[in-house]
Amino acid sequence: MIDFENVSKTYPNGTHALYDVSLHIDKGEFVFIVGSSGAGKSTFLKLIMHEETPTSGEIVINGKKTSKVKRREVPYLRRHMGIVFQDFRLIEKMNVFDNVAFAMRAVGKSTAVIKKRVPYVLDLVGLKDKMQDKPSELSGGEQQRVSLARALVNNPEIIVADEPTGNVDPEMSHEIIELLNEINAKGTTVLVVTHEHELVREFNQRVITIDHGRVIGDTKDKSAGIRYSDDDYAGYDEYDDAPQYPDNAVVLPD
Amino acid sequence: MKGFGYLAKEGLKNVWSNRIMSIASVCVLVSCLVLTGAAALFSINVAQVVDSVGDSNETTVYIKSDVSQLEAVYIGKDIEKVSNVASATFYSKDEAFQQYKEELGDELFNKIEDRNPLPDAFIVVMDDLSLYDETVAKIKNIDGVDSINDHRELAKKLTDISNLVNIICIGVVGALMIISIFIIANTTRATMYSRRFEISIMKSVGATNSFVRMPFLIEGMVIGFISAAVSTGGIVLLYEAVMSAITSMIPFTYIPLANVILYVAVAFVIAGVVIGFFGSFISIRKYLKKEGNEILGW
Repeated sequence: MIDFENVSKTYPNGTHALYDVSLHIDKGEFVFIVGSSGAGKSTFLKLIMHEETPTSGEIVINGKKTSKVKRREVPYLRRHMGIVFQDFRLIEKMNVFDNVAFAMRAVGKSTAVIKKRVPYVLDLVGLKDKMQDKPSELSGGEQQRVSLARALVNNPEIIVADEPTGNVDPEMSHEIIELLNEINAKGTTVLVVTHEHELVREFNQRVITIDHGRVIGDTKDKSAGIRYSDDDYAGYDEYDDAPQYPDNAVVLPD
Repeated sequence: MKGFGYLAKEGLKNVWSNRIMSIASVCVLVSCLVLTGAAALFSINVAQVVDSVGDSNETTVYIKSDVSQLEAVYIGKDIEKVSNVASATFYSKDEAFQQYKEELGDELFNKIEDRNPLPDAFIVVMDDLSLYDETVAKIKNIDGVDSINDHRELAKKLTDISNLVNIICIGVVGALMIISIFIIANTTRATMYSRRFEISIMKSVGATNSFVRMPFLIEGMVIGFISAAVSTGGIVLLYEAVMSAITSMIPFTYIPLANVILYVAVAFVIAGVVIGFFGSFISIRKYLKKEGNEILGW
């Protein structure tokens, strides 16, 4: 479903965001992408969404090499994935229904289809009773569920959630991931980018760890890096000021 | 196209939610269109006058004011003797006075009735207009002839003025058109900025560029269309007023507005919509190259 083959990304300003990343995510998998801020997670997401293109290497999504995707085909590539943002990105002046319907209108769906589909998806995330509410009238957890409904409404094969629990109460965080699990159980591939290790531990799912632009751990593909025990995650976030690793070094935490 | 109704509605919403800028755009575009229309109407009127002057094979020969009407009859005989003159019809100063009075109103002329300032004249018709200049020269040599109303001179002057007006107008209109495009580009850019959040979401869910672009193009075209409608109204209001003012000074028959207003309106709509389209198009083109957070400026 998603293949990274020796992907590197260097930004024009010289920042090396990803080094030689190779990984494979199958259809129907649930994957946590973890790493501290600046580790390269957001670049990873931008590459999947085709907001950025790799400096070298190849990304294959749904069997399609993204280097071969033409500019005007990019929107159609994106229709295979639903994005959930940390900050929800809901339109304040629209109610819950219209926020979700917006994603369908944006891809040219008819009003009749929208009227049927939106309540169904809102029911799925447990917000059927709040269709007429404005985002400001909802809690953080509810707003994130609206955002999730919007990502789901066009029935994508992949859901990409960028720090979906970042602005949500800890109790609600669990609920959000639970919901993503349910969606995954229906066959949708789910990618969750997070730095909340507590949450990752609660759910026994595949974890890909990125640090300083490299995949340093993958609970499924052992060859991708070193697998850490739970204890190794402790204090992980303090690694930000660690030195840049030389290209071929095997990196072990202290 | 799927969802066109929705896109059109969004476009209209843009015009309204950004109305101050929309009004500014409409004002500039209206001044551009009204000026173009006025210049065009002026030049077709001049062209018509020039045509009718050129066609009429009649030259007015004025007689000196100290010549009595009896003497004038002899002068008429002399004029008729000039080769190439087909006829010379006496046109007395009283007749002339009456005609002016009819055309321009009684008030002014009643006061000066007893001291008619107009000269006696002959309306001369020529056989061959190509010999016009020589014939006029010969008539001028006759004793008692004061001056000749040279229609050709008038026609030439009118054409010159018309050409000058056209050149000035092309310059002014060209400048205004560029300004219009920029103002509309800025208007849609402002709308785009205020809707950048929506645009970034649309792009993230896979909206095509043409879909994202459509409401803004519609916004530009609606501004163009409104401008065209306002300009047409402006021309309707101005034309009769300006023309009756001009004809009170220089009597001539102008082209009735009804004959041309449809063409003016159609030309305005086409020009307005095209300018609106281009204004929006150039401003959104840059915007659509951006992605995600770049659009939001985060």
